Amino acid sequence: MEKQYDIDTITSHILKAGVLTSLLFIITGIALLFINGQGDHYTLSQIANFNSTFDSKFIPLVGIIPGILALDGVYYITMGLWILIFTPITVVFTALYSFVSNRNPSYVVMSIIVLFNLFFAMIVVPRLLI
Amino acid sequence: MSAVLFILAKFLLIMAAGVIAGILGSLTGLGGATVLVPLLSLFFSVPIIYATGASLISTIATSAGSASAYTKKKIANVKIGIGLEMATTAGAIVGSLTAVYVYAHNFSWTIYVIFGVVLLTSLIPTIHRGKYEEPPHRQADWWTKVFQLQGSYYDEKLKKNVSYTGVRWWLAELIMFFAGIISGLLGIGSGALKVLGMDWAMNLPMKVTTTTSNFMIGITAATGSTIYWYEGYIQIFIAAATAIGVLIGSYLGAKILVRITNKDIRWLFFAILSFLGIEMLLKGLYLGKYIVYGPTTEIYISSVSAVLMIVGLYLHQKRGDIIGKTV
Repeated sequence: MEKQYDIDTITSHILKAGVLTSLLFIITGIALLFINGQGDHYTLSQIANFNSTFDSKFIPLVGIIPGILALDGVYYITMGLWILIFTPITVVFTALYSFVSNRNPSYVVMSIIVLFNLFFAMIVVPRLLI
Repeated sequence: MSAVLFILAKFLLIMAAGVIAGILGSLTGLGGATVLVPLLSLFFSVPIIYATGASLISTIATSAGSASAYTKKKIANVKIGIGLEMATTAGAIVGSLTAVYVYAHNFSWTIYVIFGVVLLTSLIPTIHRGKYEEPPHRQADWWTKVFQLQGSYYDEKLKKNVSYTGVRWWLAELIMFFAGIISGLLGIGSGALKVLGMDWAMNLPMKVTTTTSNFMIGITAATGSTIYWYEGYIQIFIAAATAIGVLIGSYLGAKILVRITNKDIRWLFFAILSFLGIEMLLKGLYLGKYIVYGPTTEIYISSVSAVLMIVGLYLHQKRGDIIGKTV
């Protein structure tokens, strides 16, 4: 039971930390966009235009690290959004860890299936669609 | 300079829409995204594709934000949540791929129609929810033992430990698969369906149901979000504004909810939501060229039907309460 408590507390901390870090990146990114007046070679008004073609398809994820180093607002926001996407995924990992340490084989299998689905959506599906 | 101020105003306006969506979403229990998509697409002329993308992202933010409080109090059942996530994540993949197909073939009017129908139908179970804290006792079944569906939590209001027994796991999995499809297709958390799966099918107490659903929504939305990202459905300017807005809104909503003493005021929010639902339905039918009339007539029809629907449900609920009291 004590173990369970630890996992719940850790989960709660991960969720909170994930949301806060992501918000920090998003807010910094927005500030940088307004300060620089542009991001990723697009002007601020292009980025803010709903009917322009500037959407997530045109933001390569490999550009995140160089973009962040170059203080590019677009990549700060991208980083923030991806931290947000990964936050619930890390929770599944901690749950998997707790099931392994509590020797609960059926739930180990179930968490692996959930993780499989998540990574299938992330890695396999985009390649199928191209 | 004025152009920059204009863009800043635009950002703050979308953020405000997020705040409103977050407040309404948590006051009605339907979640911010369900309100955000109609707000953005009907009043901010955001293309539906970006509206759903932004709300899927915001769904993760609110789910993680509120779940962090619930898991700490040990009300949410992480085990049951993970087990059911097998179905929701699979459903989310199917749903997002359906969305990809729909948008690629210019059927986006169907998204409006399905959204309207889902919003209106999820209002009914949401309204009837929460009459009792503890579900009627049910005999444990085969699934209960195999999947360890028993648990307990400390109820602060009742001041005692409430233990529960989950049953009919297979049925919940089936409902969760559909919840996942809806989430991936419409960019919402589909909490109403998740609650239905755990409350009605598995016979779990309402507190466990809502908190577990809250924690699950984030995982489901993360699945859909990755597909949305690669397909270009996420416009970062909008998504950034709504993620911040909805998070603030749902935080405020939770604070307001505790202070509302008159339960009848919630009906006003339900009326707003049913108005949005009918508007989405009509807009979809209009875009699909099934109906032809001006926007003024459309708003008129939506308002009247929303009021009728909510008054009808209100009277039905009141009558149910009276019958419940006399029995």
